[in-house]
Amino acid sequence: MPWTNQGGGGGPWGSGGGKGPWGSGPQSSGPTPPDLEEILRRGQDRLRRVLPGGSLGGKGFALLALAAVALWGFSGFFRVEPDELGVVLRFGAVVREVQPGLNYHLPYPIETVLTPRALRVNKIDIGMRQVEDGRRSASREVPEESLMLTGDENIVDVNFSVLWKVKPTGVGDYLFNIQNPEGTVKAVAESAMREVVGRSEIQPILTGARQTVETAVQDLMQRTLDHYASGILVQQVQLQKVDPPTQVIDAFRDVQAARIDQERAQNEAQTYANRVVPEARGRVAQITQAAEAYRQQTVAEATGQTSRFLKILEQYKKAPDVTRERMYLETMERVLGSSNKYIIDTHQGGQSVVPYLPLTGLPQPEQQRGQSAGGQQ
Amino acid sequence: MRLNVFGGVLAVLAFAALIVLYSSLFTVYQTQQALVIRLGQPVRVVAEPGLHVKVPFIDSVIDIDKRILDLEAPPQEVIASDQKRLVVDAFARYRINDPLRFYQTLGSITGANSQLSILLNSALRRVLGEVTFTHVVRDQRAELMARIRDLVDHEAAGYGIQLVDARIRRADLPEQNSQAVYQRMQTERQREAAEFRAQGAQRAQEIRSRADREVTVLVAEATSKSEQIRGEGDATRNQIFADAFNQDPDFFGFYRSMQAYEAGLRANDTRFLLKPDTNFFRYFNNPTGKLTPPPAASAAPAR
Repeated sequence: MPWTNQGGGGGPWGSGGGKGPWGSGPQSSGPTPPDLEEILRRGQDRLRRVLPGGSLGGKGFALLALAAVALWGFSGFFRVEPDELGVVLRFGAVVREVQPGLNYHLPYPIETVLTPRALRVNKIDIGMRQVEDGRRSASREVPEESLMLTGDENIVDVNFSVLWKVKPTGVGDYLFNIQNPEGTVKAVAESAMREVVGRSEIQPILTGARQTVETAVQDLMQRTLDHYASGILVQQVQLQKVDPPTQVIDAFRDVQAARIDQERAQNEAQTYANRVVPEARGRVAQITQAAEAYRQQTVAEATGQTSRFLKILEQYKKAPDVTRERMYLETMERVLGSSNKYIIDTHQGGQSVVPYLPLTGLPQPEQQRGQSAGGQQ
Repeated sequence: MRLNVFGGVLAVLAFAALIVLYSSLFTVYQTQQALVIRLGQPVRVVAEPGLHVKVPFIDSVIDIDKRILDLEAPPQEVIASDQKRLVVDAFARYRINDPLRFYQTLGSITGANSQLSILLNSALRRVLGEVTFTHVVRDQRAELMARIRDLVDHEAAGYGIQLVDARIRRADLPEQNSQAVYQRMQTERQREAAEFRAQGAQRAQEIRSRADREVTVLVAEATSKSEQIRGEGDATRNQIFADAFNQDPDFFGFYRSMQAYEAGLRANDTRFLLKPDTNFFRYFNNPTGKLTPPPAASAAPAR
């Protein structure tokens, strides 16, 4: 409701042009206040009747009385602030409601006016109190209000605020129907919140169901307050803090940490898997390629060796004896050419030489050159 | 002089009339209803706000609130039917709908509050004592509140009071039981956390071992395949050799022996003791190459 831009008498319900729900503003029709001048004239008449003759002293007295009456009459002017509504009572009964601005009611004791702040949105905090601490505003916890039982017998710490205002058509109800509007709103809010929280389980309250809880509490509050005909409109229920109680909040946080740990362990394992499997595929390729290489190498070598053999065989077949002799001699030449040799003639006492020859203690090739007595070729 | 006396009498009469007028009029405020009492006997109830007339001096007027009034009961411990204790803080809202009876039985709002507190407390105990803890907290809160209201309303009717509503503001556990609940919540969360961690470890282990298995299988399959390939290679080799060497096994023996001598008897670590009468030396003593004894060539390698 745009209760802030109240210019003059232009309330949110039409500018006194007779469109408002109360019929009209005080200026137009309705119970018109009696004309001031007429009152004064009547007063004068009455004075004249009481004090006939009209001496000079009487005239002065009359003037004084006139002034008093005028003052009394003027005491009926009153101001309604922009966030207020005026309710005029004649002998205790409601006769009209007036919009913000300058207004007039018949002077006391005929009419009186009440100016509640009916256009303002009020806020009630439950579970905490705003404490003005110098310049900062801090909030203090009120655990007996904020701790409540959930349906699964857990305890949850709930702070919330209720924004409420007087219904546009309910200022009369608000003023005259209930004894303690603010206290009633608060009591109903607490009761409704506990009822709603008591129906739910702790986990949804803590996580997703804030909106649901707010709406349910607002509906329940509105129903109850309407039942009281309180003229109060619950504009909004705002959940501020919904936590596990401080005694167990560490355990709840640890659950969150555990969820993260769970994720982390899986990710680490996945990292390991992602590293190890490709490595293994690499090794597989290596093994396979090595085997393939071996096969090709073996075949190639075999092919090479056989083709060499076949070539030689081809030539051998042309002159077998000579070739065989030549190959034998060439091989012996190569074998004996690079080795140490001792030639022993067994026919001329060779038998007797052998025992004296310490085979194991034979000198190394460099030293034995002189000793070997023409044994080398 | 006569005029003055007349004026004085008039003034006195006017004053008396004013007093009578004042005494015969009374206002009823918007929030109130009035009980008119004539010499101690109640005659009527005025519910309409505004200016009203009564018999001067004889009638007196008592204002009685007609708004919805507050009743706050202090918190009290209630035992539910399952022997669980609950601290219940209830409030009620009521309205005086029969001012005469109200005035006769209770007299004032204060009296009404204390009487209604007693009624409310006993109704609370009676209604909540019949049901279990979970019914109070969760299942039947609204119904129970309605029952309490009806019960109190029924009894309060005798006092000229209508109970508009009775509500449970708080229904909490006593402090000691709250501690037990905290401990239970804590252990529940710890259990949950342990479960999460264990599940994480389990899944991690699953992922790791699946990876390990995959690795082992991959390598084993590769090894198996590689052996197969190597075998194929060896087989082909043997076949190639066999095909070639079978063409002349005798020459193959000679040829391969020559190669083996050359490869097997390496230089510098082989020493030969040779007899000069071997086939190799057959021209050594005799240029014709005829050996005196039949040749018995033997090379004795020594290491």
